[in-house]
Amino acid sequence: MRPTDRKYLKSHEWCKIENGIATLGITDFAVSHLSDLVFLDLPNKGASVTAGESFGEIESVKAVSSLYSPVSGEVIDCNKNLPDNLEWLAQDPFNKSWMIKVKVTAQSKALIDAAAYETQCQAEG
Amino acid sequence: MPLRVIRDGDGPAAWNMAVDEALLHAATTPTLRLYGWRPHAVSLGWFQRWVDFADVPAGIDMVRRLTGGGAIYHGDELTFSLALDADLLPRDVAASYELLHDAAVAALADVGVASRRLAGGQPVGARPRERWCFAEPGAGDLVTPAGKLLGSAQRRVRAPRSRVLHHGSLVLRRPDLTPFVAAVADAREPDAALRARLADALVDRLAVALDLPAVASGLAADEHAMATALTRSRYGDSAFTRAR
Repeated sequence: MRPTDRKYLKSHEWCKIENGIATLGITDFAVSHLSDLVFLDLPNKGASVTAGESFGEIESVKAVSSLYSPVSGEVIDCNKNLPDNLEWLAQDPFNKSWMIKVKVTAQSKALIDAAAYETQCQAEG
Repeated sequence: MPLRVIRDGDGPAAWNMAVDEALLHAATTPTLRLYGWRPHAVSLGWFQRWVDFADVPAGIDMVRRLTGGGAIYHGDELTFSLALDADLLPRDVAASYELLHDAAVAALADVGVASRRLAGGQPVGARPRERWCFAEPGAGDLVTPAGKLLGSAQRRVRAPRSRVLHHGSLVLRRPDLTPFVAAVADAREPDAALRARLADALVDRLAVALDLPAVASGLAADEHAMATALTRSRYGDSAFTRAR
């Protein structure tokens, strides 16, 4: 079972909201299907993100995938060490590999809890 | 559901990349597009840095691809793009390359060119990154004894639809700028007849791999309009190519 203290998107991002601040990342399921990560591009502090729209991009095995934001708001912090240590994503996707922190103004209506996300992962194989 | 097949001729780099992005976003049926490059051009992978290619001779067209991977000098080659819903390919990126590369191996065999998918070896991400796509074959790449014969790369989006754009560059003759590549010409003279047979074989084998019947088609009006707009706003704009 994946962490129950946060919500998930079907596109395999996770979102943990505490005191109006959302911490975003991608799940172990996403990482396992991407494999061999080589590039990660994240927004800078001060940038705006929009729920349901891309907030960054990741490249694995010559495939670029967009990352989708579960929330709207202003980026107040970015895990600057992550792009140079992409192996962290396989080791600890839910803590050490957080990507950005966002001051939330709105949340996606598509967020699901851990149990529903688990069901989706099983369906996707 | 058919596999729509668009056989384009040789086109300029910016137009080629704009059409492929338009197909990723706008196509409503799985689409395979075959094309070439005139003038010949260098395409950079999405994340590559412009400054790393300062040694490319002046006058050679350069464009940034939407897909990842290393740079390719597109000389005399058969290029294809596949734009389709993500659920028509294995979700696992490496597995999707395996499916498409095996189809390409079969198509090449159909015209008498022996190649194989490289098994084992180091995964792509564990190696020092070469700036040229064809410089160092990695696990899963399509190779001959002379080197890498097919360059592949993808873009995957999840919204508003889960879609994949797959690029494949099959080298017909070895370019001077990237002499380390393998080429169809190593085994068979790529004359007009062989080119036509290879294109047909590639369509047939990819259609079988995707389990979709191939149907000849052309670019739809909305796709053409989007490609025209993308040529202006992105791929024909040197600032976009030099943005990284």
